[in-house]
Amino acid sequence: MNKKSFGSRLVAAPYLVWAAIFVIVPLLMMAYFAFTNESGAFTLANISEIGRYKKAFGVSILYAIIATAITLVISYPMAYFMTKMKVSSQRMIMIIVMLPMWMNFLIRTYSWISILANTGLINTFLQSVGLPKLKLINTPGAVILGMVYDFIPYMILPIYSVMSKIDNSLLEAAQDLGSNGPSRLRRVIIPLSMPGVISGITMVFVPSVSTFYISQKLGGNKNWLIGDAIEYLFGMGPDYYNVASALSLVLMVMILLCLAVMSRFTDDDEGGVIV
Amino acid sequence: MANENIVELKGVCVSFDGEKVLDGLDLEIKDKEFITLLGASGCGKTTTLRLIAGFLDPDSGEVIFEGKKFNGVPAYKRQVNTIFQRYALFEHLNVFENVAFGLRVKKLPEAEIKKTVSDMLSLVNLEGFEKRRITTLSGGQQQRVAIARAIANKPRVLLLDEPLAALDLKLRKDMQKELRNIQQQLGITFVFVTHDQEEALTMSDRVVVMDKGKIQQVGTPKDIYNEPKNAFVADFIGESNIVDGVMDKDFTATFSGHTFECLDKGFEPGEAVDVVVRPEDVDIVSKEKGMLTGTVTSVAFLGVHYEIIVDIGGFKWMIQTTDECAVGDRVGLYIEPDAIHIMKKSEYSGLYGDYSSYSEEMDHLSENSEEEE
Repeated sequence: MNKKSFGSRLVAAPYLVWAAIFVIVPLLMMAYFAFTNESGAFTLANISEIGRYKKAFGVSILYAIIATAITLVISYPMAYFMTKMKVSSQRMIMIIVMLPMWMNFLIRTYSWISILANTGLINTFLQSVGLPKLKLINTPGAVILGMVYDFIPYMILPIYSVMSKIDNSLLEAAQDLGSNGPSRLRRVIIPLSMPGVISGITMVFVPSVSTFYISQKLGGNKNWLIGDAIEYLFGMGPDYYNVASALSLVLMVMILLCLAVMSRFTDDDEGGVIV
Repeated sequence: MANENIVELKGVCVSFDGEKVLDGLDLEIKDKEFITLLGASGCGKTTTLRLIAGFLDPDSGEVIFEGKKFNGVPAYKRQVNTIFQRYALFEHLNVFENVAFGLRVKKLPEAEIKKTVSDMLSLVNLEGFEKRRITTLSGGQQQRVAIARAIANKPRVLLLDEPLAALDLKLRKDMQKELRNIQQQLGITFVFVTHDQEEALTMSDRVVVMDKGKIQQVGTPKDIYNEPKNAFVADFIGESNIVDGVMDKDFTATFSGHTFECLDKGFEPGEAVDVVVRPEDVDIVSKEKGMLTGTVTSVAFLGVHYEIIVDIGGFKWMIQTTDECAVGDRVGLYIEPDAIHIMKKSEYSGLYGDYSSYSEEMDHLSENSEEEE
């Protein structure tokens, strides 16, 4: 028994080392910077600095919630109808959903600039048909659009994969017991696809709340998110590492709290799939 | 009332991907009866059940429920409930909510739901299980929840799709009795699907033997066993020696080189027929007294009796006897007139009834049944 577990420990060792170097050490460093000043002495000053970034925090959370909600509203019906299609069509749509993920994130965001810009695709078209130009770029809407566009595959995939595993005989059983279409959706499909919804929400909300690139490119300077603040502070040099770390730490704690709240909804002891 | 047909299928055809699954099926199901659709996998029995449930519409033909055409009526509007092979219980709901599912859909008052659910749970001996999660139940308990869930809706017809296939032998026997009791207690029609002939014979009022999308025979278990219509039914239900014979005239048939007295009539003189003799109906006598004589080629002791194979002119007969024989013995066979059953020739003639490949077949069967249990 001991020998065996030694062997398995040996096999696991590289992963543990990897996890230590790339996950635990950075986290500890972040915590260290967050609670020290430039000379390395313990301080809470960095944490109290955070008050100055209240607005960025608020905007980040608000945008992330809106983006997550929109993604969910689009993805859920889409995943549902996908499961109703022929297997070949399901695969086709799957590829279409995944395709943008193979392209660089920056390029995808840049391409939205050329669509939304004042002289971009949409406005050029509007002008050509004699309509007034719209202000699209550098608006909260553009930032949220960017988030939705970039992160929507992470919503569709988990919902689709959970939903496609729902046993058809359960739907037949519900139908057999007198349940019509909408009632089956409410009583069987939605409850059984909740684990997918929860992990989809998590996978969209977390990157949305901490993104910085989308807001910079599509939101101009007006829609500062907490991610932008962190990026900006780190960019200012070592003197600002402490405050930046404190912000990161608080953001991380917030995200963890959100996840904890979310996992409450999946009261299932076995089914709680949180990525 | 008892003789009224609750469900009728008329000339029903169903094909999947160009393959005929049901081929002009006609079936009448009487109110309050326990009827079993029996056949090997792929014979169309489950498809028949799904037609009645409403998960499927026939390509042609009619599904009639209480005298009204039911084609196109969706499953959720039918007064029919199903017990699925793998139970199909809702794992996101506890036992109470599973049983209450259909009642909640109907939006019945809470007090009525509570009462019905507790009645149903006590009917299936699951009192006190209300709050349990489905995943914590054993197979037998899940089966009971599935039964309670289906009958809570007070269906006119309960459809059971091989509901006992996943249970072990002991539990299966108990559930057979219990289902039969429930059926008699509630007085509703049960349409039971199984591939297990013993299950079909012990449980049913009537048995429908199916093969290749067609009904081969409908009748009481006794009819099916004693008066099989063709070689398929004779072979599928119990063990049978099926030999080629000629009907000389009424009450006289010749097979295996001997002319026998029998109880069958109504055939053309000289008509070629299939003759069925059940292994337990053959007496072993000395070769002088025998109507037929043959050589014992194999002997198996099964406790209650011996199962011996006797070669008579190249055709291997199976005989169940309490007399001890040895391989190589010459023995005589004596067959009473009522042990002989004459059947018309059918597409199944010559396919079954010879025990030449018996030992391998037996090994194969027992392996399979072990896997299943």
